[in-house]
Amino acid sequence: MIACTEFIAAYSELFKFLEKKGGKKAVADFWNYLSDLYLKASLKKLVKLHGIRGCWLYWAKALNEEAADFTMELDDKAGIFKINMHYCPSKGRLLHWRHLKPYAGYCLHCDVLYRRILEPLGYCYAADFSQTDKARCSVVITRNGPGRVRLKRSSAKNR
Amino acid sequence: MTRKAADNKYLHKDFHCALNLGLEYVRKHFGDDAVRDYLRQYARSFHAPLIRALRRRGLVALKEYFRNIYAEEGAPVRINCSRDELRLETDYSPAVRHIRQKGFAVSPLHGATEFAVHAAICEDTPFAFELARYDRKIGRSVQRFYRRAP
Repeated sequence: MIACTEFIAAYSELFKFLEKKGGKKAVADFWNYLSDLYLKASLKKLVKLHGIRGCWLYWAKALNEEAADFTMELDDKAGIFKINMHYCPSKGRLLHWRHLKPYAGYCLHCDVLYRRILEPLGYCYAADFSQTDKARCSVVITRNGPGRVRLKRSSAKNR
Repeated sequence: MTRKAADNKYLHKDFHCALNLGLEYVRKHFGDDAVRDYLRQYARSFHAPLIRALRRRGLVALKEYFRNIYAEEGAPVRINCSRDELRLETDYSPAVRHIRQKGFAVSPLHGATEFAVHAAICEDTPFAFELARYDRKIGRSVQRFYRRAP
């Protein structure tokens, strides 16, 4: 059995394996496939049912189960949800396992998986991945609509 | 909401579902052998410290490892370990159970997370691996690690 506590290593190795097999496109195709199937009954369902509060409900469960070090903020009225990840448990583990070399674009999977769910539902997803070498990142999700400011797309630096 | 890592136990069982989808993706796009190749790559890379411990300390290293991961998953396991053989018996796989509970179809190659990974751990060690019994439906298994004949 691969324990769920070992999954992050298996995930990173899977990205490396796919890239060797079919290049970056194979990795991107897999992330799209995973987003469609894995997040359909969770994030997608919650956001459809509860609007931006669905983001809060989804990440409150996921990040607590992952024992993340984070701050989450929700402004339901303004349609803004923020995650400030002080120490990502996934990237943190990959940095901690010194015998493993993480997949170079590891953190990008979050961007692809979540953006693919949220943008078609009318939300803007913006992330700052500039400090992933310290297992830190931040995400801002805003509800689109008249008078709302669109945030810049994710920073691609230092993923 | 602010949380520190120490506020919670690290146990996100939905990761079992994500891995299962990963196995299915590889199987459908690259074939059954690719799933085994991927799991071998994972095992040789991630379990390098465990492989070293197996060479140095023998089967007791595996016994400690399995006790630990099954305890973390909250699943029962029976382990009998001697100098020459380790026998591991489970009533179900917590991974398979969780995947089913979440309504996903279990990959027909999910069992490879046992046999392909464990066989790869034994490569270049004095030990070999045998999956003596495996029930695909619930992941119940009997597994043997044993000293190779000289």
